[in-house]
Amino acid sequence: MKVSCPFCGNVCDDINFDGEVEREKLCPLGESKLTREKRRIPYPMVEGERVSYDEAIERAVEILLNAKRPLLYGWASTVNEAIRLGVILAEKVGGVYDTTSSVCHGPSILATIEEGLPGGTLGQAKNRADVVVFWGCNPAEAHPRHPTRYSVMVKGFLVEGRRLRKTVVVDIRKTATALLSSKFYMIKPNSDFAILTALRSIINGNDNAVPNEVGGLSKSQLREFAELLLSARYGVIFFGMGATHTRGQDRNVEALIKLVQTLNRHTRYILQPMRGHFNVTGADAVACWEAGYGYAIDFSRGYPRFNPTEFSAVQLLRRRDCDAMLVVGSDPVAHFPFDVVRHMAKIPVIQIDPHYNLTTKVANVVIPSAISGIEAEGTVYRMDGVPVRLKKFRESEFWSDYEILKAMLERVVERKGGDVVW
Amino acid sequence: MLILRPKLSFEVHVEAEITPDLAEMDLKDVLNFEVYYGKLVKRLGDLFDVETVGEGKRLILEGDFSRVKWIGKGMKDGEIVVRGDVGQHCGAYMEGGKIIVEGNADDWLGTEMRGGEIVVKGNAGNRIGCNFWGEMEGVKGGKIIVEGDVGSYVGEKMVDGYIEVGNAGDFIGTEMKGGVIVVRGNCGYVGWDMKGGEIRVGGRFDLPPSFVEENGVWRGDVNVGGKGVIRKL
Amino acid sequence: MVSLEVRNGFVIDPMNGVFEVKDVFVKNGRIVESLDKPEMVVNAKGKVVVAGGIDVHAHVAGGKINMGRKMRPEEMRYPRFKSDNLRSGVGRVLLTSPAIGYEYARMGYTTVVEPAMPALYSIHTHEELDSIPIVDKMALPLFGNWHFVFKFVKNDEIEKLSNFIAWVLAKTKGFGVKVVNPCGVEAWMFHGNVYSLNDTDPLFGVSPKEVITGLISAIERLKLPHSLHIHCNLLGIPGNYEVTLETIKLTRRFENSERQVMHVTHVQFNSYAGESWKDMSSGAEFVAKEVNRNNVTVDMGQVILGHATTMTADSPFQYELFKIFKTKWSNLDVELETGSGIVPVYYSPKVRVHSLMWAIGLEIGLLVDVDKVVISTDYPNGGPFYSYPYIATLLMSEKFREEEMKKIANVERYSILPSLSEERTLEDVVKMTRVNPARILGLNDRGHLGENAKADLVIYDLPPEPNPRDYESILKALSNPSLVLKDGEIVVKEGRVVKHTWGETIWVKRDYDEELIGDELEDFFNYYTVQRENYGVPHVRREVVLC
Repeated sequence: MKVSCPFCGNVCDDINFDGEVEREKLCPLGESKLTREKRRIPYPMVEGERVSYDEAIERAVEILLNAKRPLLYGWASTVNEAIRLGVILAEKVGGVYDTTSSVCHGPSILATIEEGLPGGTLGQAKNRADVVVFWGCNPAEAHPRHPTRYSVMVKGFLVEGRRLRKTVVVDIRKTATALLSSKFYMIKPNSDFAILTALRSIINGNDNAVPNEVGGLSKSQLREFAELLLSARYGVIFFGMGATHTRGQDRNVEALIKLVQTLNRHTRYILQPMRGHFNVTGADAVACWEAGYGYAIDFSRGYPRFNPTEFSAVQLLRRRDCDAMLVVGSDPVAHFPFDVVRHMAKIPVIQIDPHYNLTTKVANVVIPSAISGIEAEGTVYRMDGVPVRLKKFRESEFWSDYEILKAMLERVVERKGGDVVW
Repeated sequence: MLILRPKLSFEVHVEAEITPDLAEMDLKDVLNFEVYYGKLVKRLGDLFDVETVGEGKRLILEGDFSRVKWIGKGMKDGEIVVRGDVGQHCGAYMEGGKIIVEGNADDWLGTEMRGGEIVVKGNAGNRIGCNFWGEMEGVKGGKIIVEGDVGSYVGEKMVDGYIEVGNAGDFIGTEMKGGVIVVRGNCGYVGWDMKGGEIRVGGRFDLPPSFVEENGVWRGDVNVGGKGVIRKL
Repeated sequence: MVSLEVRNGFVIDPMNGVFEVKDVFVKNGRIVESLDKPEMVVNAKGKVVVAGGIDVHAHVAGGKINMGRKMRPEEMRYPRFKSDNLRSGVGRVLLTSPAIGYEYARMGYTTVVEPAMPALYSIHTHEELDSIPIVDKMALPLFGNWHFVFKFVKNDEIEKLSNFIAWVLAKTKGFGVKVVNPCGVEAWMFHGNVYSLNDTDPLFGVSPKEVITGLISAIERLKLPHSLHIHCNLLGIPGNYEVTLETIKLTRRFENSERQVMHVTHVQFNSYAGESWKDMSSGAEFVAKEVNRNNVTVDMGQVILGHATTMTADSPFQYELFKIFKTKWSNLDVELETGSGIVPVYYSPKVRVHSLMWAIGLEIGLLVDVDKVVISTDYPNGGPFYSYPYIATLLMSEKFREEEMKKIANVERYSILPSLSEERTLEDVVKMTRVNPARILGLNDRGHLGENAKADLVIYDLPPEPNPRDYESILKALSNPSLVLKDGEIVVKEGRVVKHTWGETIWVKRDYDEELIGDELEDFFNYYTVQRENYGVPHVRREVVLC
């Protein structure tokens, strides 16, 4: 049978499984996830002592119910079915639901709020794109099979291969992806906003508003770039942290969106954020239909309210506006700023994860889970939102995220009252 | 006039949508005024000491209000004086009256203000006088003055009114339609996609490549056919 | 679940010819002839008793509405339900999934059709449908720009097309065949559109006419319970009523004695005369006439003045809307299959074209034969679905229409609405919201209160023939049912949701021979970015399979 790889936003669904995972199609990321063992958390623990699942869940629920503003964070590395229970759990304990989006593609979501997202599925790049731009992203290393499955060397019904496709990389250094591409624009760090605006001005016929040099590119280079973009019959712009995490952030993404809006007056273009985790897109989507927003959602008033500057994990922890935390399938201690991690060490932390990581060190309650996509099945959304089923191909003694969260929700409702509404 | 002082050190932030209207209510009702302490619904009197001092539609907030959010939300008249720092969302949706913050303010100062005046003696955070997420229009009237510095995102989608700050970060007056923003010091990107209104900057600033110089000022944003003006102070 | 008697209510059940005071008995989720000792008795004296409402077209689940939510936090800020015993729910016109289920139930609606499911995203559509409480649901996959359909239609391979449809319905748990701007969405991939039934798509060279007639042939061959469900070409463009008439006329070569051969959806948006926005006028009279003399049905697509979010698979049209409104714009091109576009709008009473659209919808509701029209707003394109009581009241009361027309721009020269004195009766409204939808969808277990029908039942505090001049009472009563039963359980009391239940997902199964279309499947899946063996929906919460 074919199994899907639960690592990056590509969610390749063509991995052969015949009693064992076949390595033939695996990239290094997939290989590490699907064929190598990492140190598992062996059993549930409370304050370092071994306990049963029921006892750990009981303690976890107590912590969440007693806290004034509990934070439920992570979610990008598990399946929709579990995420949905997580959102409802956050609602029932009056806490905050936040995902890794708040430290990753949050700016893309904020830009979508301002302008919408002119997008399409990955098959559009494969089949139609004769111009493909990688802006501030490096799929050759971060999404390794992206070029061969979706965007560069792949054969589509209108664009039969690499030679018929112009690939452009915009980055501050010559990345591995730039080596695969036909054109590379090296820009000065933190100049994405200015360059994107300059391109828009040029395409709109407002050359006179553009100075002779913007972000390391000369006006004639900018004109050449604009013409290349306009020459497409169908263009796709992929972008990543180079745009979201440099000066401008959400405004860089907004500038990308406005560029694509402008290009669509002349020809067809779509924009695609290179989502990192295999189900961060699902973590957004599930929260949107259950609670109206994708992340940074506070339920303290009994209904969802959205505000990343107030309710995202880093903001809550930095402001000490959070007195308990549940971490599902993530490692904030490894990724968050130090002042924020210091607060995490002071509050009760519950961790649900298959593997040890730095967050385990501050977790008061540790609940080991089955690995999604190997030991637990479920639905995830690829970076373009296309749903893919993760399969279970190995038995495990560990409870799945879904089972753990369901037990937690049942216990919450038992203690607080209320109907079974999930 | 009422003086409010926090009774305790707040473990998480408090949401207290208090306006000068409190000064004209019965003390009983003031003490019972509903506030949020995380997910707990509390009475104002549980969390704050309330002292009545003479007449006047005024609130004096003494002590640490840096962890108290939504002070002055939607207020229509009267005055609030914060003797120290104040939390997020101060003066949101304000329609009249005056707020004076003697310390620093936090993010989301004067969101979608329609009238009245906010003065901050210290610094403020990000998102000063902006629209809330997704709304098409921002501040429609009133005055926000920050004597210190602010972060990024000032006067987004402003329709009318006056905002003045010291140094600022990026994105001053994005998608502005009217009104005036003054940056006395330095700032980053100004006026992106502005349609109207005026931005005056005392120090350095970054002009997006979508403005055209004319008679000593910059006009634009050309990409939206804008008639906004950016000038040096 | 207790057995129940609804006593002394005035039952309006046109499908079974009932219009009188009658007791209704419920047992095990079904209507039964009688009960000796019902465990509960509900007193419905002085009130009317009807079946649960059925919405044939509302974009309630899937990638489009979810992207709408994501890009419009300004819509989601309105709290409707707090999380006490039940779920929280928020939203202005766009609502979260729990709010959708609760608001439908509060209105007395118990079945909803999600009319535009991109097959590649069918898992997502069903995940959202499975998160909407109470109501029963169905989803219609989109066929009008699918490369398989183009290929089969081009070669006139109706047998293969039928097999393909059956394969799709099984894979995606779909209920029927939806078509949106046939050939136009493919044209948008090339920055174009189609402007007549004879224009062809740039890739396969087939025309909307061929796609529509090919699909109808296949659908009739399969004897699907629901007919072709079509969002016509040229939606939203002044002068488009002519294409609508031509589209309807395509049904003439087909016969079906049980149901319509074509359901034209949100037809208000396709009933415009004139040549531009400046001289746009109503073409509803022409459209209504054509509908009335052909075996087709329509739903209104009524515009409700105020905020709305346009979202359709008609991606080229959505880009045009963006250029007009200049607000925000989302687009989703779906490889090989379809597309979509989302643009927030505000229908203003001061703008003549918007007021005219409002009037045209009501013309449709009054001029089309009462057996052929269904109330809808093409939610959220025209406005909220919870405005259906408002629409019903407008159709029932000329005085209400007059009052509302005072608040909008003057449309006298462009619409005949001001001169229409027709007032629908409450029984007519029951037809437009229960009887017609059930027949149009081919469902015989709902839309009525005969023996063995689903016990989806609503009690409204109204007399059977309410006074049209007292429209405020009508609106109030229709917006606040005294009681709503879903599968025999009380879910709403006095307009308040009291129980959170889960409805059924209905899909249609027809035999197919995968080998027959094997070559095409093999070929086209080379161009998809998902594996053929992974395509489709593995399960839904509560499934009902119609064979």
